[in-house]
Amino acid sequence: MTGYLLEIGQALLALLLAPGLVGFIRWLKARLQGRRGAKPWQPYYDLRKLLGKEVVMSKNASWLFRFAPYVIFATAVAVTLLVPLVAAPLPFDAVGDLLVVVYLLLLGTFFLALAGLDPGTSFGGMGASREVTVAAIAEPTIALAIFGLAVGAGSTNLGRIVAQTLSNPGAVINPGHLLGFTALFIVMIAETGRLPVDNPSTHLELTMIHEAMILEYSGRYLALIEWAAALKLLIFFSLLSNLFLPWGVATTLTPGALGVSVVALVVKLAALAVIVALLETRIAKLRLFRVPELLGVSFVLALLSVTSSFLLR
Amino acid sequence: MNGHDTLFAQLSTLGASVTLLFGVVLLWRRSLGAYIEAFRWQSLVLSAVFALVGYYGHDHELYIVAVALLALKVFIIPWYLKRLYQRVGGEREAQPYVNIATSLIVAGLLVMLAYAITRPLVMVSKLPTRGGIPLAVGLIFVGLFVIVSRRKALTQIVGFLVLENGIALLAALCTYGIHLIIELGVFLDVLMGFLVMQVIVYHIRNTFESIDVEQLNQLKH
Amino acid sequence: MTFLFLLFPSLIAAALAAAIRRYRSLVGWVNALLSLIALGAAVKFADHAARGGGASVFGPGELLRADGLSALMMVCVAAVASLALFLSPGFGRESQYSPSQLRRYQFFINLFIFSMLLTVSANNVGVMWIAIEATTIFSAMLIPLTLTKPSVEASWKYILICSVGIALAFAGTVLGYFDFVSLSGRAENALNWPVLLASAPSLHPEVMKLAFVFLLVGYGTKAGIAPMHTWLPDAHSEAPTPLSAMMSGVLLAVALYAVLRWKVVVDATLGDGYTNKLLIALGLLSLVVASFSIVLSRNYKRMLAYSSIEHTGLMCIGLALGPLGVFAAMLHLVNHTAAKSMTFLLAGRVLHRYHTTQIKGVSGLLKTMPGTAGMLAAGLLATIGLPPFGLFISEFALIRAGFATGHPWLMGAVLILLAVAFVAIIGHLNRMLYGTPPEGVAVGEKGGRSLALLSLNVAVLVTLGLALPAPVETLLNQIVRIVSR
Repeated sequence: MTGYLLEIGQALLALLLAPGLVGFIRWLKARLQGRRGAKPWQPYYDLRKLLGKEVVMSKNASWLFRFAPYVIFATAVAVTLLVPLVAAPLPFDAVGDLLVVVYLLLLGTFFLALAGLDPGTSFGGMGASREVTVAAIAEPTIALAIFGLAVGAGSTNLGRIVAQTLSNPGAVINPGHLLGFTALFIVMIAETGRLPVDNPSTHLELTMIHEAMILEYSGRYLALIEWAAALKLLIFFSLLSNLFLPWGVATTLTPGALGVSVVALVVKLAALAVIVALLETRIAKLRLFRVPELLGVSFVLALLSVTSSFLLR
Repeated sequence: MNGHDTLFAQLSTLGASVTLLFGVVLLWRRSLGAYIEAFRWQSLVLSAVFALVGYYGHDHELYIVAVALLALKVFIIPWYLKRLYQRVGGEREAQPYVNIATSLIVAGLLVMLAYAITRPLVMVSKLPTRGGIPLAVGLIFVGLFVIVSRRKALTQIVGFLVLENGIALLAALCTYGIHLIIELGVFLDVLMGFLVMQVIVYHIRNTFESIDVEQLNQLKH
Repeated sequence: MTFLFLLFPSLIAAALAAAIRRYRSLVGWVNALLSLIALGAAVKFADHAARGGGASVFGPGELLRADGLSALMMVCVAAVASLALFLSPGFGRESQYSPSQLRRYQFFINLFIFSMLLTVSANNVGVMWIAIEATTIFSAMLIPLTLTKPSVEASWKYILICSVGIALAFAGTVLGYFDFVSLSGRAENALNWPVLLASAPSLHPEVMKLAFVFLLVGYGTKAGIAPMHTWLPDAHSEAPTPLSAMMSGVLLAVALYAVLRWKVVVDATLGDGYTNKLLIALGLLSLVVASFSIVLSRNYKRMLAYSSIEHTGLMCIGLALGPLGVFAAMLHLVNHTAAKSMTFLLAGRVLHRYHTTQIKGVSGLLKTMPGTAGMLAAGLLATIGLPPFGLFISEFALIRAGFATGHPWLMGAVLILLAVAFVAIIGHLNRMLYGTPPEGVAVGEKGGRSLALLSLNVAVLVTLGLALPAPVETLLNQIVRIVSR
């Protein structure tokens, strides 16, 4: 019983933290660029504003256009239930498998791409095709990168992977581990639409990937999609931190351990946010045809991580 | 295997992986300057691996080898390469024979091939460093692939140097290096080979006005 | 002690060439005389081995060692080196090299000879490797001597492909050493050939298989075995003529020597089935590639280079055919060295007269240069294996060995390919010898001295072809004993 309550609590925590994470990165970037920037909790105000606004839709949009935001949001929330955010052995663990997580994320991307195509605008179509190009190489890489860890743990269950790494701290400097981390980091940048793959704050449509697909959305639909995008960022950050550096994750369900784990999660998310903000400020956006090359590198790294974990068992 | 040995094994495998990754950079980037930097960093990590093997293997000759490697491949050869690049370069690998995305996938496959080929070696060896042997052979294959798939003579030289690094890494991990005199003789040979290649690249530039090896097609039947 | 007389003359010659800035032709003659000292030392080693003496060793950690195989190679290298050095001044004059080009030429060619002699006298396989890499480096400095586009292209391909090959051979050496180390721990003289050979039966078969593949591909690149031969026609045709003669004549043989040394070790571990299969496969491929390329050749120097590939392929096959085959292959090595060095030097004379390397640009040789034409005909006929020249005997022995070891189809294929090359070369030769000379080519020749020197080669070929002298036969039998234990 406590387990299920914990799961719901975990999802709620993620929902609460996600917009703050996005706002924090934006604020950091502004400061690094010498601006004052909006407060880190600005996205919460944005969400409230959007939820209150009227929805304006194109006449050509079909039921898919209205359906997609709910699917995208639902898949993101579902993934937060399955990923070990604060505790490692969870009741949904049996379902909390690597492949399920990848498929859910891909389901969300799929519907987003369809929603971009649905109104029939050219920018939407362009965004959808670019998104699918990136996803085509990125999704297998996610699977491979985490699979490298799974081989070491003997199971693709995320909770068990975390438990395995916790019980064997020396494995952190394994080449398989580090290669997997790097590969997943690059993929995270691609999947969440961060520089150098995609600029989240651009207003030039020809440079957009993610933003182009949601140009037609407004009101509560846009709120849901933005929230889902923030959740995706949080999920990737927590995958990176909890799978590869799992210290702080609670293995027992006592309030003390949980408290420590929440604090640890916040610290790790903040650290990753700082790294991403620094990266975004330093690096310029890649030209579109160079993105497959970058993703190719991450694919090779993931492949190497799997092979070296496999053979150094 | 005691804890001391495990740390050694992990560090040496880590060093080998990083060396291999710098080699893969040659297949990823386009600018010749990036290749020279990648080679430098790779040689730096390689000399660290030699020093590491010397420390844990209790073989002080390897420290000398590490220092020689450092002097030769981190300072001397990259200096010459940079000079060569300044006088002859200004060209980028715009259209390699195999495009970049495919090259990266081929690199991954080559490393898997190296793992397959070196299984008997890894099973026979009793040294803690045996985990990195497939990575060294993978680096050799990657170096070969760079030479075959790239069009600029300078890239081919760096590919050859990366190949030599792979072989040196193999020697370090397989056998804790070979005898000092021979290792130094090998370095000398590599240096001289490099200098000769450099001289010939200058000749190529002067006679062909470009270092694109596609132009070197005059000699047929 | 004799080792010093073998190795030092070429070092001294190189030092002289570097130090003395004038009197270039005098330095050239001194170089040639110094090489005779080396030749004398080599003959002494051969004599010692032929009389059944044990291998002589020298140097710290038994650095240098001369058994029968080394002695034979030393004689070949030193003889061709002397021949080339005696004819170099003439060639230098004809090619009109500038004094600085001549100086570079003399410096590097002597270092090249030194490194070849070191390769065959090294006991330590690591030192052998270093010396072979050195031969690549020194010869690569000489190929672009005239800085024409084709010569620069040839030198780039040469240095790149051969360096890669040699690097792979080093990987193979490391793997062989690795197996030894994993068995007996690090030992002081572990890379010495006799030590490796002694411990070979207890080495791991899988590892040695992998090591031999690397070694065969690596040293095979230097030996001109297909499919790693692509540098050979370019390099041998664009190099200065005396260097081409040495490269085609002995350098390929020296690389094959390295392969052979390792073959003996690997055979002691695996039995000779594995290495024989690989050698036959690559040798046959070389024969195929070479024969058809000879048919398509339009350049007579490249034709000669392809013929070298053909003979290297034959020698590879011979080495894989048991003791009889090894005897035949070694005899073939000596014969080929004599024939190929002579033909390249003569081709150089033709080049100087006709100023073209195209076959169709050369005609009427018999009228313009009767002496050269006659000897060139002799050389080419020797190369394709006609009696009374030595190559006929060695090829015959090889075919016989093939049938004796149960490879009738292989020998059939070999015979067909040899016939293809035979017909092709005779066709090209006829085109060059007969007909009317082109415009502007001087008629008549005077170079009596060079022709006299080259007639020594013909004498060697005829002697080996008519009656194998007893010392040579004992030496070859010694080698067979060393190689097939």
